[in-house]
Amino acid sequence: MSRPPDLVGDIVDGIDALLLFSPSGAYYERAAALDDTDVVVVATENAVGADEFVELPLEFDDVRERIKFGVEGALSEGVVTDGDELGCAAPLFGDDIDMVARTRADESRQSGVYDLFANSRSEPGVIRDVFEVVIELGRKGQKGEPVGALFVVGDAGKVMNKSRPLSYNPFEKSHVHVGDPIVNVMLKEFSRLDGAFVISDAGKIVSAYRYLEPGAEGTDIPKGLGTRHMAAGAITRDTNAVAIVLSESDGLVRAFKEGELVLELDPEEY
Amino acid sequence: MLAPIDGLSGGQFRSVLAAGVFFAGIIFGYLVGRVNKRLLYAMDVDDAVEGTTVERLAERAGSTTVDLIAQFTSWVVYLVAALVALDIARFSIQNPLWYPFLSYLPSVVLAAGVMMVGVLAGDKAELYVSERLRSVKLPELSVVPLAVKYTILLVAGLVALSQLGVAVNALLVVLFVYVGAVVLFTLVATRQLLTSAAAGVYLLLRQPYGIGDRVAIGDHEGIVQEVDVFVTHVEADEREYVVPNHLVFRRGVVLVRE
Repeated sequence: MSRPPDLVGDIVDGIDALLLFSPSGAYYERAAALDDTDVVVVATENAVGADEFVELPLEFDDVRERIKFGVEGALSEGVVTDGDELGCAAPLFGDDIDMVARTRADESRQSGVYDLFANSRSEPGVIRDVFEVVIELGRKGQKGEPVGALFVVGDAGKVMNKSRPLSYNPFEKSHVHVGDPIVNVMLKEFSRLDGAFVISDAGKIVSAYRYLEPGAEGTDIPKGLGTRHMAAGAITRDTNAVAIVLSESDGLVRAFKEGELVLELDPEEY
Repeated sequence: MLAPIDGLSGGQFRSVLAAGVFFAGIIFGYLVGRVNKRLLYAMDVDDAVEGTTVERLAERAGSTTVDLIAQFTSWVVYLVAALVALDIARFSIQNPLWYPFLSYLPSVVLAAGVMMVGVLAGDKAELYVSERLRSVKLPELSVVPLAVKYTILLVAGLVALSQLGVAVNALLVVLFVYVGAVVLFTLVATRQLLTSAAAGVYLLLRQPYGIGDRVAIGDHEGIVQEVDVFVTHVEADEREYVVPNHLVFRRGVVLVRE
C-alpha cells in the first residue's frame, strides 16, 4: 500500500533548507518544528515572526521568478550556502501553500535581482514604489497608447550633475515622493515629456525632463534595445543609481544596475 | 402632577399605567440597543476595537465589545423605565433612601461610559504605538506603549471619578507633575531636533539649495544628495556628510559655482 505522500516525498527528501513562500501562521509553526531542516520564510512582510526571513519587494506573480528571487535573497543574506539543496513550498493557485518544488542554491546563476533591491543606494521601498508606478504605466499606457519612460533612482546629486534640463522642471520646489497616492496620475501625465525622471535615495521626485549625459563608452547592453535603454545602462555605470526603464516598443520593464541589465518584467503579468 | 390621573381613574389604573410604562420601556430599551448596535457596526467600531484586551475579554465571555456596549445602553433604559414605573405606582420612591441613588444615576452612567471609552482608547493607542515601534527592534521600547495606555487610562479614570464627585485633586497633581516632566524632558532631549526641524521647514519651502547643487556647510563641501526636515546629506568623493539642518543656519551655507 502506498499513499500519495510517498510519491512526492522524494522531492523534499534530504533538503538542507525549506523555503516557505507567504506561509500562514499555523503552517509556519508546523514547519518550524521540523528537525535538521532550516526554515526560511519568503514573503512581502514577516507576519509570522520568523527568524530567517527574506523580504519580497514585489508580489511576483510568476512562481519561477518568485522562487528565483527567494533563493537569491537567501543566498545573499547567508541563510543558505552555495550548493545547498532547497525545498520550496509556495502558493500557486490559491492563497495557501499548494505546491512543492526542489532547487539548488547556485551562486553562479545569480541574476542580481535581490541585489538590486537590497543593496542599492536607495531604500528597497523606493525601488519597489518606482517599479509599481512603471508596471502600472506599462499596463495602462497613456490614454491607451504605449509609452516609454526612464526613471533614475538614487544618487540623485551625481545624476543631476551628469544631466541637463531639456525644459523647465515641473517638480521644482515640489515635495512629491514616489508612493504618494497622487503620483501615479501625475507621472502618467508627465510621461509624455521627453527625458528621464530623477528620483532621490529617499524617494523624492527631483526632476523630470532631464537629458542624461553619462559617458556611454563601455556600456554593454543587449543588442536591439534603443537609446533609452542605452542611456539607462550608461548612467548606472557612471553613478551609483539604479535605472528602471519602460520600453515603448515591446512594453517590457527593465532594470539596470552598474551598467548591466538585471531584471526584465512583463507588466501584463502583475 | 399625577393627581389628575389619580382623580380620573383611581389607584388600579395607576398600576396598569405603571406596567404599561415598564413594558414600553423594555421595548424601547431593546430597540435602542438594536439601533445602537447597528450604528456601532456602521461606524466600524468592531474593526476599531479589534485586538484590544477588552475585545479579547468580551470574546472569552462569548460576546463582542459592540454587543456589550449595546446591551449596556439597553440596560440603562430598562433601569430608567423601571424607576419611572415605580414612581408612577407610588412605590417607595419617596423613600429618602432612594434619593442619593437616583440623583447619582446619570453621573454613574456617564462615568461608566467615560471609563469604557477610556479603556478602549487606551488599548487601541497601546496597539497602535507598539505596531509603529515594531520595526524598531529595541526591547526597552516596549515600555512606551504601556506608558501611553496608562496615561490614557489615568485621564479617563480622573474624568470618571470627577463625574462621581470623588475628590481627585491629589490625582490631578500627580497627572500634572507627570505630564509636565514628560514635556520638559522631551523638550530638553529634542532641542536640537526641534531647531533642525524649524530650519528644515525653511529649507524645504524656499530651497536655497537643491539636490545636485555643490555646497559648503562649515567644513563639509560636496554635492547635495538629499534634503529632509532634519538633515541635509552632502556627498563628497566617497564621503556622505549628514549635516543637521540647524548647523546650516548657524554656519551658513556657501553655494559653490565652478
